[in-house]
Amino acid sequence: MKNIATKLALVTGLCLNLGFTMISTASAETKVGLLLPYTGTYASLGNAITEGFELAIEEAGRTEEFTIVIEDTEMKPPVGLAKARKLVYQDEVDVIAGVVSSGVLGAMRDFIHQSQVPLIVANAGNNLATGENCSPYIVRVSFSNGQINRPMGTWLSENGVKTIYTLAPDYAAGHQMIDAFTEAFTAAGGEVIGSEFTPFGQTKDFGPYLTNAQASGADGIFVFYAGGEAINFVKQYGSFNIKTPLYGSGFLTSPLYVEAEGDAAIGVRASLHYIPTLDTAENKAFIKAFQAKYNTMPSEYAVQGYDAALALMAAVDNGGVDRATLASQLPHVSYVGPRGPLEIDPATNNIVQNIYIYDTVMENGALTQKIIDTVPAVRDDVAGCQM
Amino acid sequence: MDLSFWILQFLNAMQYSMLLFLLSIGLTVIFGLLHFVNLAHASLYMMGAYIGISVAAMTGSFWAAFFLAPMFVTLIGAVLYFTLIDRMRTAGPMNQVLVTFGLIFVFLDLVRMGWGDIALGLDGPASLSGTTRLLGVDYPAYRLFIIALGLGVMATMWLVLARTQIGAMIRASVENTNMAAALGINVSKLFFLVFCFGCALAGLAGVAAAPILSATTTMGITILIPTLIVVVIGGLGSLEGAIVGSVIIGFMETFGAVMIPSFSAVLTYALLAVVLIWRPQGLIPARG
Amino acid sequence: MFYQTKLRSITLIAALIFLACYASFGSYFAREIVVEIIILAILAISLDLCAGFGGMVSLCHGAMMGVAAYGFAIMSAKLGWPLFPSALIGLFAAVVFSGLVGWVTSRTNGIFFIMATLAFGQMAYTFFFKSRWLGGDDGFGGISRFDLSMIGLETNDSLVFTYIGLVILLLAYGLTAIVMRSGFGRTLSGIHVNEDRMKALGVNTAAHRAKAMAFSGFIAGLAGIIAAQHTLYISPELLIWTTSGEALIVVILGGLGTLVGPIIGAILLVLMKHEISNYTDYWHAFIGLVLIFTVLAGGRGVFGQIEYWFNKLTQKHQSTTKPHGDDHA
Repeated sequence: MKNIATKLALVTGLCLNLGFTMISTASAETKVGLLLPYTGTYASLGNAITEGFELAIEEAGRTEEFTIVIEDTEMKPPVGLAKARKLVYQDEVDVIAGVVSSGVLGAMRDFIHQSQVPLIVANAGNNLATGENCSPYIVRVSFSNGQINRPMGTWLSENGVKTIYTLAPDYAAGHQMIDAFTEAFTAAGGEVIGSEFTPFGQTKDFGPYLTNAQASGADGIFVFYAGGEAINFVKQYGSFNIKTPLYGSGFLTSPLYVEAEGDAAIGVRASLHYIPTLDTAENKAFIKAFQAKYNTMPSEYAVQGYDAALALMAAVDNGGVDRATLASQLPHVSYVGPRGPLEIDPATNNIVQNIYIYDTVMENGALTQKIIDTVPAVRDDVAGCQM
Repeated sequence: MDLSFWILQFLNAMQYSMLLFLLSIGLTVIFGLLHFVNLAHASLYMMGAYIGISVAAMTGSFWAAFFLAPMFVTLIGAVLYFTLIDRMRTAGPMNQVLVTFGLIFVFLDLVRMGWGDIALGLDGPASLSGTTRLLGVDYPAYRLFIIALGLGVMATMWLVLARTQIGAMIRASVENTNMAAALGINVSKLFFLVFCFGCALAGLAGVAAAPILSATTTMGITILIPTLIVVVIGGLGSLEGAIVGSVIIGFMETFGAVMIPSFSAVLTYALLAVVLIWRPQGLIPARG
Repeated sequence: MFYQTKLRSITLIAALIFLACYASFGSYFAREIVVEIIILAILAISLDLCAGFGGMVSLCHGAMMGVAAYGFAIMSAKLGWPLFPSALIGLFAAVVFSGLVGWVTSRTNGIFFIMATLAFGQMAYTFFFKSRWLGGDDGFGGISRFDLSMIGLETNDSLVFTYIGLVILLLAYGLTAIVMRSGFGRTLSGIHVNEDRMKALGVNTAAHRAKAMAFSGFIAGLAGIIAAQHTLYISPELLIWTTSGEALIVVILGGLGTLVGPIIGAILLVLMKHEISNYTDYWHAFIGLVLIFTVLAGGRGVFGQIEYWFNKLTQKHQSTTKPHGDDHA
């Protein structure tokens, strides 16, 4: 009898002890919710961002310190919001990272703001999220739609392009990208002589639009397309043998898609916040590590995931231990990453970063990116943002 | 906007119409004969594109892909026929729609497993990579090839249906299956052949479209709606209907994009609604 | 024709109790799942009354739901109206939209009806997608939930909101059951079975079908109001045709023409989706296989099949009714 009682006591003690140790490590841990699409049209973006995020944590040797809970938004705003609520109330995460689509971000915005759980946006570029609808709890390490395109507008005008014809898909992001470009281009003295928005996700044949653009007689065509639409557009532009040069938001010839676009992408000039051929020590180290782990070249999406993790770790190092302290530390993060020097602008919580103007070129039989110019430290205006 | 502009847009419209024709003709022929609404037709189109990309990557030749991809797709079609389609033939249109809708989901994930989520491209043949001068304009040679391919398939089918014995058998079976069977036509063999032929056309459309449009996991679902609109406007099951439907949609989408771009997103739906209110069986209803 | 059999009553009550327990005792996310089930179940009931009784397989039910949700959200969040009148206007908008679609498509049948409703649904979707004022594809927020504090209910509490949703689901079911049992429902079934005969009997079949669609729009609208208040945010996603497709899968999975079936189908589909997505991103294929299997197994759906076995067993003792789900083909 006595024996059993001792055993029981031992076991109970062990359990208590285990419970105790678990609790004590839990308090030192940071729990991160990764909220990304893993199914649907943008599943590849969700996967790339996850790869970047996990690489950064692993590289820093801090996998023990961060618990990652992964949730699929399916690219549907209501699903994204439901999963965000789950992460906050059930998994009790300290911080959420991810969000690819602006629709999902829009659906989550009020909830994040009210529940005061910091959100690190790793893609969705909606200007309003760090403008009119900004929140002290929403920090963006990716880009804003305006940020990518404004520098290109100014740059093109200063480099002798006088008239432009614009094309983009007819949805909110498409309009924001083109509006930002047009504003900067006209302010610098250029003229947009024609503009069309193509039905989003439905347009398979860009022939009619390309013919229109060519007939307009503009000096150049400026477009924003991403994903499958970018491939279609660039290939069809190439097949028509159009003499008018093609400029674009850098997603057009993203390294993720440029191979599928083939020779048609050669000579397309675009602006983006990350180019894999950046000649910096940070970028080279990043590419080496990324290739070693995933055996493929990183895209701008992978970098966004990587930087989301770097920003988070920096905030933790500055004393962020829970939701409140992480939220107060995140807007003050600054470091040099694969993209170059980065900082969060506390006035909007949007990232301040270089924008690179680059050409897609053929080198040694492979398509690669050649940086033409760098617009340093591009900062968004405080457009109606009140923290 | 001079004449050459309109010629270019005319060719754009023709190219798009022929792509739609290649897709819808298979669907409508299968319906006309088997009375089977095969929504998975769009998935077979997707398989055509993806298999084509793999074959081209392995052999390094577009033409190998162009000929082999439809054959592989036909094989998939044959498997489907013996596992599902044949036993669903008498199950009513509602059940057929649902089973093939389920197949769309299955194919979607099969493609994601096999080829990943990233959009892929296929390079057209080098011989058709440039532009050709036609009617006073420079037009991409590959697009002309699509137009020619569509017209060629159209003419061949017309000839086969009107002039050959198998064509007569098909026409007889469309008019009255029981009577055709009574006259000694092996109807079930005919059904199988026509189904395979329809699948081959879907695969052909997929591989032919791949150099112009990229291959994505959602390409099947996104092409399904325009294809259905084409066959429904034309009249489900009729060859003439598929021709008329694809030309109407192809031209309307192209010129809609040129002239009233802000309405181009709803134009086809509006047309579909108007046609069905006016003629609830489509413009050229199939007989039988 | 619809009969509220004992089996149906028992299943309905069991399903509601299951959902209430799941929400009460499960994790926080369980409540989210239950609300998702409620919205989908109401939408599927609304589709079942069209497809199961009237033979009208519609692909614009997502749009019907979305029109009500947008109507409610525009009036309350954009124009600052009080919540209840806004909800009524949203429901009214859905009724008008659905009735109009039903009226103009009343001459089409089968696949042509499917395509015609698809066209109208997609036009409504495109309208909201392109509307800059309503945030386009990004949608807009700022929606509030009903203030029921005067009867002591805090709707911002997720559990209270779930219970209210369950009550509305019961109401939607009850209302649909009553209407389907009435002369109106019988006439609708009659039109489905033989439209010419009903015409010969002097029924204005087109008007009747339009009315059925309008009523269906009212029920779908209820789902829309819940959806808008649940997420406090609205986007065109609700109206896209695949939402209607999902509702159709639910109806088939549960059992066409049974009204209880859609609730069972919604529970099964949503739970299956969440369970499987824990293990794999390829859950679409699984849903597809389940759908194929359901149809191959006779197409009665889970509840329809149970009812079929149950009726077979009890046939000797009583002259029960033949489930309607059998003669939809």
